[in-house]
Amino acid sequence: MAADFQLDRLFDEHAQALFAFLLNFTRDEEDARDVLQELFVKLARQPGLLRGVQDERAFLLRLAHNAAIDLMRRRRSRAAVNVKYGEQRVALFAADGDPDAAAFRAELSAGLAELPPDQRAVVHLKLWEGLTFEQIAATLDIPLNTAASRYRYGLDKLRARLRPIYEEIQ
Amino acid sequence: MNNDEQFEQHLRRQPLRHMPSAWRDEVLAAANAAAGSRPSTLDARPVSWWRELCWPHPAAWAALAGVWLVMLGVQFASREASPQSFARQTPPSPQLRELLKQQVQLFAELVGPRENQEADRPKPVAPQPRSSRREEMLNA
Repeated sequence: MAADFQLDRLFDEHAQALFAFLLNFTRDEEDARDVLQELFVKLARQPGLLRGVQDERAFLLRLAHNAAIDLMRRRRSRAAVNVKYGEQRVALFAADGDPDAAAFRAELSAGLAELPPDQRAVVHLKLWEGLTFEQIAATLDIPLNTAASRYRYGLDKLRARLRPIYEEIQ
Repeated sequence: MNNDEQFEQHLRRQPLRHMPSAWRDEVLAAANAAAGSRPSTLDARPVSWWRELCWPHPAAWAALAGVWLVMLGVQFASREASPQSFARQTPPSPQLRELLKQQVQLFAELVGPRENQEADRPKPVAPQPRSSRREEMLNA
């Protein structure tokens, strides 16, 4: 079926990026999976959803972000969610045999977990999706200046946290 | 390239973890199953329309709806307590009945008995010739 083929193609082209974004944003592998599945169920039920969309990746990231926000709102307490997400130690990065590299990635993952979700989303889209601030603003439905400032604040926090280990491995 | 840019480049080079391979079949199976039981577009459209409309600030929309409900309630309550409906619902007291009776009697005395009304009425007048000029001319 054409719809099945379209779903397969969308999954193969974008699911990995969506998974990484959702895992970093929610800091919970089960939540990332739930949101990813919810997203593809939505695409299957509404085949025309992507009609006329020029940038599929940005559009899907936007849908994923909105679905993740909905998931967070469904939680009983926002404070409890933040505590939970802050406490989560998810394997965000690929494993590395080099102990220095592994330590840096673990520290980077912990630093990202400490960022507010809004800053974490911008940092992720900028660093690992390579989006411009305009694209990030459109994806997250925020003003351009907000996207830029969130990135700057987030990166400053990461730099302050990672500086010792970064200088050590350089 | 300064240190800040080098730091950013270093972060970019950190490889993200791959998604578990089993997820592909599971997610696509769930999506295809959902597509099989797809709700009609007539059912889905209003829900998605409401969702798109309210999504950015659902709390604000809920608060607005709450204010409207309160206003409707206040208006309904004030209508219930209006003087007309109050008078319709509560029977007049005996004192009020007596007072009304006295006023009716006083009004009847002021207006007078029914015979007087008959007497005051203008008496019927017999038709008369419009003018006696023609008779005078004929007699002349």
